[in-house]
Amino acid sequence: MWYRRPALRRTLTSTGFGNRRGLGREEAGCNETIYHITDGGSLMAAPAGVHIRRDAWSLPPGDLTLVHYANAVKVMKERPATNPRSWSYQAAIHGSLVLPALELWNQCKHGSWWFVAWHRMFVYYFEQIVRAAIEETAGPSDWALPYWNYGRNGEYASLPLPFRNPTENGVPNPLYVAQRAPGINSGSRLPPAVTTDVFALSRPQFTGATEFGGGVAPPAPQFYSQTGRLEQTPHNDVHNAVGKGGWMANPFLAAQDPIFWLHHSNIDRIWAIWIAVGHVDPSDNGWLGQRFEFYDAEGKEVSKSCAEVRDTVVDLNYTYDPPPAPSAPAPLPAAVRPQVIVLPPTSPEPRVVGATAQAVTLVGNAADIPVEIDEQARQDVLTASSEADPRRLFLNVEDIEGEVNPGSVYGIYVNLPDTPSPADLSAHHIGNVSFFGIERARDPQDDEHPHNLRVSVEVGELVNALSTEGRWDLERMYVSFRPLSLIPPADSPEPAEPEGEDPPVHIGRVSLSVG
Amino acid sequence: MSTAGVVSTGGTKSGATPARRQTFRGMGRLAARPTLGVELGVGVTWLVLLVGLAGESAGSPTSPSRALWWCTASMAGMARTVGGGSTSSLGAFAAGIGMWAAMATAMMLPSAMPAVRHVAVNSLYRRRRRAVIEFLAVYLGVWIGFGVAVLAVLAVWRPAEAVALPAALLVAVLWQLTPGKRRALRNCHRSCALPPFGWRASAGVARFGLRNGGACVASCWALMLTMALVSSGRLLWMAVLTGVVLGEKLTLKPRRATRRSAVVLGAAAAGAGVAALVG
Repeated sequence: MWYRRPALRRTLTSTGFGNRRGLGREEAGCNETIYHITDGGSLMAAPAGVHIRRDAWSLPPGDLTLVHYANAVKVMKERPATNPRSWSYQAAIHGSLVLPALELWNQCKHGSWWFVAWHRMFVYYFEQIVRAAIEETAGPSDWALPYWNYGRNGEYASLPLPFRNPTENGVPNPLYVAQRAPGINSGSRLPPAVTTDVFALSRPQFTGATEFGGGVAPPAPQFYSQTGRLEQTPHNDVHNAVGKGGWMANPFLAAQDPIFWLHHSNIDRIWAIWIAVGHVDPSDNGWLGQRFEFYDAEGKEVSKSCAEVRDTVVDLNYTYDPPPAPSAPAPLPAAVRPQVIVLPPTSPEPRVVGATAQAVTLVGNAADIPVEIDEQARQDVLTASSEADPRRLFLNVEDIEGEVNPGSVYGIYVNLPDTPSPADLSAHHIGNVSFFGIERARDPQDDEHPHNLRVSVEVGELVNALSTEGRWDLERMYVSFRPLSLIPPADSPEPAEPEGEDPPVHIGRVSLSVG
Repeated sequence: MSTAGVVSTGGTKSGATPARRQTFRGMGRLAARPTLGVELGVGVTWLVLLVGLAGESAGSPTSPSRALWWCTASMAGMARTVGGGSTSSLGAFAAGIGMWAAMATAMMLPSAMPAVRHVAVNSLYRRRRRAVIEFLAVYLGVWIGFGVAVLAVLAVWRPAEAVALPAALLVAVLWQLTPGKRRALRNCHRSCALPPFGWRASAGVARFGLRNGGACVASCWALMLTMALVSSGRLLWMAVLTGVVLGEKLTLKPRRATRRSAVVLGAAAAGAGVAALVG
């Protein structure tokens, strides 16, 4: 039983999966009370003064949250570029192409288990700086950064309206950026396969390249090769879809776009949801104790550890509206495995049991490639895919190389029929791959070693289903990469994306492994 | 894959105690380490070199009873080859190459362990061992090829060590600070796709071995040139230079590490120069 006060259960927005940091909201009259579920499941009202981040698409008519945001962006852009509280300096903390780099520039953490915690801190301090700027312009002191919940799909998957127009009332709109993907500023929608949080929320563990938060990595590199499922989809994919050919698709320009911060507010919210449904953050002291540095609202250098940002209400004094909880009553996909995973002690590394013989180059079109399975491991693959077997089956997209990020997002499909129906596309879709940060993976900007780009997803559930239906070929599986395009608005005759090939991205190998 | 999320559900068919289960599990994980064999090989090589070169460090001649036969022969061969002995002796030259191969194994392979791991983990499981052997053969082959060239030159043109050693160290210092060194060091960290089956798999591993070995030689040639020139205290030189190589390859801030090692090498060059003047 999650709530101690049964009377409240009917009125709470939260669906009650939380065990530690779930939050509920009592919707009685005009006075809204935010509830916070603490360790052990006791329910208590969140302290007064907790800042509430709201859905940018659901702000009530006349709400000034985004107007204040625009004013603050303007104020921050007018500050000297060397001021840590200026717009360009804050963006450069994430990444900058300007040399020489100033203090705390180029600090972003991608492709590892630092991703969610570092970006939570980054957005938290940015929000404080914006709030202070709003107060300077006689705005409210309780302003909180909204979030863009593109996962609601439909019109909500298009850019919120205040970000689209170059001018507002005849003056330049600080929230508008021209350097976005073609169609984004005119209302094209992100496809559901890009905005979905299901691949992330279905992961039972935090740590690991196939898990929610990403794999273990040293804290210094900006980019590593242990991208977690949340970082890939929707994070990387939305960056690409919004910023193809523009700023959001480049980590060294992305934070200059005001929508960046609402995107990351949403990513942060999904982390809170994942915790609210009963998952746990790493307990490793190396993760808990790792500190990262930022600037606060007064421009002073401050730092926080990962352990200090796990609870948004207790540690950071903010929450979301609606409170983090499962986003829909629909059950998580069947791919969810038990949380207790026992790997055979003698096989700490997944074992490669099949791979492609040739590389494949993606230029914006669909590509199919056969993955040959070792004849001595074919039965083992079937066995490992079954629910009864503790081992898991992984599909790995390896040795990804490219000079520039083409900005495309590809869905990865297994054994897709020749003319797939929408149901086929959904059933055979195991994840996405996009190339946010590819420029720096092989050619780091700072004093770092290069590294591989690689995406790994669990595929056992689909293999098991195909096998049960008698549609599994023991000798090989076919992997398809299909571009996920923007959906143009219904009243727009123009295509969402221009014709022509993308800059090439080479995928050295696709492999199948058991571990 | 990380094992941080691995949780035991307890209960085994053997009925072993938890402590024993932990021990078995730890041993099992150790045995399943994809690079274990190579790590043991490096350890044995260091042991052999320690035994073989310990006397040299103490200033006494190496005793056959204290060294394995091949190590002694190799050192003798290298000493003759480098030190002006009979250059017509093919056997001595080959023995010198043997010593060079042992040094390359001990000094370079530890820093190449991520590459070995890449080959082991990303090759088809049943050909994992074979792939690692193929990689090692090509990787060390590249180093041995470099050693053959160096020793051949030294066999016909032998500068005095008092001059050659400080000069080689100075070259090493300058190389540490060039963009070429930075590029080579970065190339040491690049991998390539490994085909899974048949001759393509062997060719893929060989290609990776060539690339990685080539990058390693490009990064560390000046350091190993120093090793070819020193005739005493080689154990100490090996330990220091291995530390330098490990530091700049495995540290998170390689540029800083190469600059620091340049300072160390510069100090060594100055020391060797002063020693030559005093001597």
